[in-house]
Amino acid sequence: MTAIAERPNAAGLRRDAFLERLALFGLGSPALLLVLVAMVLPVGWLFWLSFLADDGSPSLEHYRRMWQEPSYGRTFFVTFQVSLLTTGICIVVGYPLAYVLSQLPRRAANLAMIGVLLPFWTSLLVRTYAWLVLLQRQGLVNQWGIELGLWSEPLALVHNLQGTLVGMVHIMLPFLILPVYGSMRAIDRDYLKAAANLGAGPVGAFWKVFFPLSLPGLFGGALIVFILCLGFYVTPAVLGGGRVIMVSNRIATDIELFFNWGAASALGVVLLGLTLALLYVASRLVRLDRVLGGGH
Amino acid sequence: MARAAALPIAIRQVTKTYGRVHALDHVDLDIRSGEFLTLLGPSGSGKTTLLMVLAGFTRPDHGSLLFGEEEVVRRPPHKRDVGMVFQNYALFPHMSVAGNVAFPLKLRGVPRADVGRRVEAALELVQLGGYGERRIDQLSGGQRQRVALARAIVFEPRILLMDEPLSALDKQLRERMQIELRRLHDRLGMTTVYVTHDQREALTMSDRIAVINGGGIMQLDQPQRLYEQPANRFVAEFIGESSFLPVERVPGGFAHAGRVLAIQSLPAAAGRHLLMIRPERLQLLGAGMGEGLNLFDGTVEEVVYQGDSILLQAVLASGARVAARAPATAGAMAAVPRAGEAVRLGLGPADTVILADA
Amino acid sequence: MRNRAIPAATIAVLLAAGPALAQDLTVVSFGGAYQAGQSKALFQPAAAAMGIKLKEETYTGIADLRLKVRANAVTWDIVTSGSGSAARAGAEGILEKLDYKLIDVSSFLPGTAQEYCVGGDVFSTVLAWNTKTYGDKGPQSWADFWDVKKFPGKRSYRNGVAGSLEPALMADGVPMDKVYATLSAPGGIERAIRKIKELKPHIAVWWSSGAQHAQLMKDGEVDMINGWNGRFDVIAKDGAKVAYTFNQALLDYDCYAIAKGAPNKDRAMKFLAEISKPQYQAEFTKYITYGPTNKKAYDLGTIDAEYAKKLPSHPDNAARQLPVDLAWYIQNEAKAAAAYQNMLTE
Repeated sequence: MTAIAERPNAAGLRRDAFLERLALFGLGSPALLLVLVAMVLPVGWLFWLSFLADDGSPSLEHYRRMWQEPSYGRTFFVTFQVSLLTTGICIVVGYPLAYVLSQLPRRAANLAMIGVLLPFWTSLLVRTYAWLVLLQRQGLVNQWGIELGLWSEPLALVHNLQGTLVGMVHIMLPFLILPVYGSMRAIDRDYLKAAANLGAGPVGAFWKVFFPLSLPGLFGGALIVFILCLGFYVTPAVLGGGRVIMVSNRIATDIELFFNWGAASALGVVLLGLTLALLYVASRLVRLDRVLGGGH
Repeated sequence: MARAAALPIAIRQVTKTYGRVHALDHVDLDIRSGEFLTLLGPSGSGKTTLLMVLAGFTRPDHGSLLFGEEEVVRRPPHKRDVGMVFQNYALFPHMSVAGNVAFPLKLRGVPRADVGRRVEAALELVQLGGYGERRIDQLSGGQRQRVALARAIVFEPRILLMDEPLSALDKQLRERMQIELRRLHDRLGMTTVYVTHDQREALTMSDRIAVINGGGIMQLDQPQRLYEQPANRFVAEFIGESSFLPVERVPGGFAHAGRVLAIQSLPAAAGRHLLMIRPERLQLLGAGMGEGLNLFDGTVEEVVYQGDSILLQAVLASGARVAARAPATAGAMAAVPRAGEAVRLGLGPADTVILADA
Repeated sequence: MRNRAIPAATIAVLLAAGPALAQDLTVVSFGGAYQAGQSKALFQPAAAAMGIKLKEETYTGIADLRLKVRANAVTWDIVTSGSGSAARAGAEGILEKLDYKLIDVSSFLPGTAQEYCVGGDVFSTVLAWNTKTYGDKGPQSWADFWDVKKFPGKRSYRNGVAGSLEPALMADGVPMDKVYATLSAPGGIERAIRKIKELKPHIAVWWSSGAQHAQLMKDGEVDMINGWNGRFDVIAKDGAKVAYTFNQALLDYDCYAIAKGAPNKDRAMKFLAEISKPQYQAEFTKYITYGPTNKKAYDLGTIDAEYAKKLPSHPDNAARQLPVDLAWYIQNEAKAAAAYQNMLTE
């Protein structure tokens, strides 16, 4: 007779679907609001500040200074160098550890994982100072090394790049191990059996099958570590002896010493830009959804 | 692909225990060269364990395993040179279809030019010609199954192991693949050991079936023998439908409820015995019929229409229950008695099977 | 003293804390042994004398106050500050002008009562060394500090420009009384920075806070350092192998200021008048070897004559030191700090 008769309940069903979507959005809205208040607004504010001169007039002077003053370039270089080295060491140390954990029975692996996560239970500051106590000239490591006759003069283990790396690797390691471990656990053992059955020895099976399948986790972990490293402040400040000056340290000095929010903001904006650029390049190299999804 | 030279397999006294449980209990089994042999059993029976021993993934406590003349029980899996199709296929997700199939060839140092040719040939064989560049996650379940098969045979192993390879497929596809797999076996001729818990699949495909339970082989026989003359009640129950009636020994034979049974082949063994009745071998008899048959009178309890047949449950005068199956032809339908009515069932002497009640 | 650690975190905490509960008066300082001394010698006795309830807080420096003033959320009345920071903060307008009709500074050391900040104690940035490394033959001048042949060993130097350029010029041969003239002349800052660059390979740690530089000496991490005399006395009392000289040290002072928009401005002014009295300042010297700005403190007889000789502002010590020139810092610090940062980063 009419459209309503031919399509019974169409309007009501459409409305139900709409309400369902609305409810879903409602669940997400606190997080959205938080992101807006805690992320978008401050970052936007910093972005705005970075284009203001000290007297409040619009200007590119902060960016110009960063371009002209070689020490800023050096700071960015150090930041990326430290982050890359930390990531590299985390991979070399963390991957085999994650592998061992992934091969343990689940109960033992869970226990060991608590050990890996234990550092998260103490504050970053405490752990950083603990390394200072261990590594300094009269610290435990040097004392033992000399007592055991391994070396005769105290080694410069801290207040330099090496010390910073030790501290940062220690803090970052779980961030690498967790995704790698998850990725390895998800690898069906039948893949390795199949590889063996088809003629691959243990080493061949590892490199041709296990390793490639663990790559999404490794890539994800490495990316997390690298990006977190870019923003590090406390560890290089305490363990770097004032010689490892990363962007965050530079931002802090700019604010404290120069009372210069614009300059500090500009540094933050450039770091953010470089990080995003890097993420983009990484996403081109590996499909990011796979990395973040953790699956394969 | 050329016909591969097949190898016989000899399994001797293979035993595997997990704690106090015998997964395999002194198993002896000879598999003939080029044979399609199925290990059939319920889950936990030890059939998969035995297959894993053959593949080298499970190390037995003791025993001997010969491929041809060679003792291989201590040989690691990657040196056994047997093809295997896994239950979940275990196709490498980071490789293309061609990459998967080429994997065993590359490991064997096959020249690059030959690899491509042989991969394509293997894919043609499983009717996946031209699928080489596809990613694994772009394939359907049936296609994955075929790739797994191509990968297992591309290096022309003389022994092929299959671990419930069709269990993930839907019924129609499974039945088609059963026939295809069997054809492929006939064409390539390698010794094939096939694990399944599906008795119909086993009956359809196998040269011989080893029924396994509790870590031991209950019966090793051709499908028809296995169905017609099961060695014991377990085999009878596991393969096909059956009813069991108590029998008593009488001079020269057996009787049920006092009525002596006409039997074609008498069992040799002493001890308690049972009469096994396959439902489709029972005939529904009208009045006056039943010359030369063993007759059972009873009351119909239930009649179930099953499309291709009618299943009838009856309680005999002796109190025992039997099931009978009649073809669902139009004429038969009309003759089937209703629940509560009396019924007479007949069983030919050749179908009257006496089993040891083990 | 100046304690610069994790300002961002501190700022976040301060912002989150919101307005403090109503107090009669709120004072903020740098924490540590320094504030402990202030509390016992100045804050609590003065509050008791005035009959008011006092709340003490800790902060990392004037940048924290700037945030509060900008956000219109000033909860502090009185802030402790370094003289240079206070001078710049006053010029910037985040401090209240002090009422010197109320605060009696007639007997103060010259220059220790600024428009926005009244002096509280006098300290020195001295050359300190590890007595285990050098025995009683420690370095006695900045030239010695720079002389890595005569005095081999690890150095530590401040990672900020304040008090860092003057020693370099003295090491480079500039007489003490010509230091600021040289720094003000064209190329002066560059000359000082060049000299520091020369020593850079021997500087193991660039220290950033008073707590840190005291710890470095306490742990024997470095053999020689520039730093604040009071901190070294505190750790020496704890058994650290450290000694220092007032020779060529930089004489500076800490002061008290009132935050712009302080909730209890009038009471704060009276409080400053109270703690500027000599008896409080004399008492404070007992806790840390920082001298009084009020000369009358010496006349009370409560400071032991032997002990007085250890204080930076004792005439014998003051004569060997270079008073920090606030005017130079107000005019040049931003430029000098930028150059210093570049030198550190290179």
